[in-house]
Amino acid sequence: MTLSFGPERWRTTGIVLLVAASLVACGGKKRPPVLSGAGDASASTKAAPPAPEPADTRPDVDRLADEGALGSDTLAPADANTEGGPLADIHFDLDSSALGDAARQTLGQHAEWLKAHPTARVTVEGHCDERGTVDYNLALGEQRARSAREYLVGLGVAPDRLRPVSFGKEKPLDPASNEAAWARNRRAHFVVAG
Amino acid sequence: MEPLERRSRLSSSRRHSLALAVALAGACAGAVAQAARPQESVTPPPTPGEAQIVIGGVTPRFAIPDCIPRKGDAASAQACRTVAEVLRNDLRFEGLFQFVPDSLIQAIPAMNPDAPRFDDWKGIDAKILIVTRAEVTGGDLTVEARAFFVDSGQTMLSKRYTGRADNPRVFAHQASDDIVALTQYRGVARTRIAFSSDRDATAERRAKELYIVDYDGFNPRRVTVNGSLNILPNWTPDGKSLAYVSYRQGSPLVFLASIFEGKSTANLTGERKDSQAFAPAFSPDGKRIAYASNRGGNLDIWVANADGSGARNLTARSGQDTAPVWSPTGQEIAFTSSRAGSPQIYIMDSEGLNVRRLTTIGNYNDAPAWNPSKQFSEIAYTSRLEAGGFDIAVIDLGTRQVRQVTQGRGSCEYPSWAPNGRHLVFSCNRGRNWQITISDRTGSALSTLSTGAGNNVQPDWGP
Repeated sequence: MTLSFGPERWRTTGIVLLVAASLVACGGKKRPPVLSGAGDASASTKAAPPAPEPADTRPDVDRLADEGALGSDTLAPADANTEGGPLADIHFDLDSSALGDAARQTLGQHAEWLKAHPTARVTVEGHCDERGTVDYNLALGEQRARSAREYLVGLGVAPDRLRPVSFGKEKPLDPASNEAAWARNRRAHFVVAG
Repeated sequence: MEPLERRSRLSSSRRHSLALAVALAGACAGAVAQAARPQESVTPPPTPGEAQIVIGGVTPRFAIPDCIPRKGDAASAQACRTVAEVLRNDLRFEGLFQFVPDSLIQAIPAMNPDAPRFDDWKGIDAKILIVTRAEVTGGDLTVEARAFFVDSGQTMLSKRYTGRADNPRVFAHQASDDIVALTQYRGVARTRIAFSSDRDATAERRAKELYIVDYDGFNPRRVTVNGSLNILPNWTPDGKSLAYVSYRQGSPLVFLASIFEGKSTANLTGERKDSQAFAPAFSPDGKRIAYASNRGGNLDIWVANADGSGARNLTARSGQDTAPVWSPTGQEIAFTSSRAGSPQIYIMDSEGLNVRRLTTIGNYNDAPAWNPSKQFSEIAYTSRLEAGGFDIAVIDLGTRQVRQVTQGRGSCEYPSWAPNGRHLVFSCNRGRNWQITISDRTGSALSTLSTGAGNNVQPDWGP
């Protein structure tokens, strides 16, 4: 073990920097109330539980605010519940973006509907089941959305009416972990706006 | 790409605290990233390149007795207990040291912190003695940390930290990093992990929001508050901003949040009407950003300046390419590609040339993470090594040997390295929720971080 000795002495700086103990104060941020409902995001408990913290009024979770406005070109709130609607899902085999007969038939019906509703615009969503990884599923979802969209364009639908969006495995229709749920989740989903 | 100013809706009862905060903001403005760090009085640092404690042969044995309060009040005693506990946890976590058992330390007679009797500590085979003191006065906490070589009695470290008293953990983290700085390594006690969580989702809004948490799982803070899907966080190297993918404008775009200033830049990569962007990754010098975009027709790896300008498609060819990560020098990029028919890891230089395949074992390899330390030459990634799930694997770039980091923990994916390259964070699901999980680079010392409710995924270990 190398020993190397520097001068040792206490230095009192005489400067006490009032440091904001939380990032919130330094940025001039508000302190919102503690989140409730969706889960208690309180300070974690560890395998070695710490001594009880002194009582204070600091909320357990500080919001580092980042509240963005929705863009003006939003077709539909992508995170809201958008099930239902006039255009049914189509489904895919595992790890595939190929369109089977049933899918092509359904897309044909969608093309007809879109011709009958010429002002409607559609978000074409690509989804995956949970058994793949995050990044690759976003890529597979992109292929599925693109596959459905290209087929509709081939049937005469104007491309700028169809906005493709991949959700990967981030927003599954069915949260269960079984073959039936997975099959439902391997889908292209169509959200109509306008 | 205009920055979005945060809307501020303050009740009247909070305006007075804002006034104080604004006054503090001036003092803090020059050191936003350091806002939560206590002020320290500095002893001269070791000469660069000369570690005072060399980790190599014999593992140094630390004795960390209880913190000794400087005052008799309850607040000082409590702060002292927290400081000692957190410091012990931090130093243990580093995986560099041994520790004298508490039972042997308890047997030592009460110590004079200004003049320890080193013979006592030699008797229990301690090589390094850590002495801590704490004092709470008003709303301020002062913590002192000293480190002694027991054999010689020489002082290796002598620090005093002052700051607000409401987060003693920060003081201990600082002390831990300063002690580790005496070795040839850099500590992780002050680092933070960003991740995405669905704990705020409702039946109507399937939200995923970004959180940051201390590396030890404490102090989770929510970063995004938009009720949309916010995923794939990526720290800038200076630790002040997070790039991420958000669906709040309807389709996935890269956003950049200056998280300590409440400002956000939308669509950093400049996607147009139909194109989507994923997997942002800043280069180690922070000057460039790599990401995946399908504006070229299918998903390719693009590289741009950090502000999104000058974007170039590096993999304009068939196959889906995503999940780019930079080498420690910033001269190469590893990424996932399906060009061979299944997802595999590839490496290319940062201009897109000299593409070669890295992974040859297994039919599903994704999400590379390049060890940022120049001490190691390896890439962690997600791999289907056994049926029924994924595991974290690490491939040595010299030998091409693969070691499996996780086993039998259900499915684990999405690895990210600590800045010193000695630990990994990833997310595992053992049949219930996805939880942030940490291990050292060999897969030992594996533990689940309790970061809060919900499914917690896609961690990125930041500065």
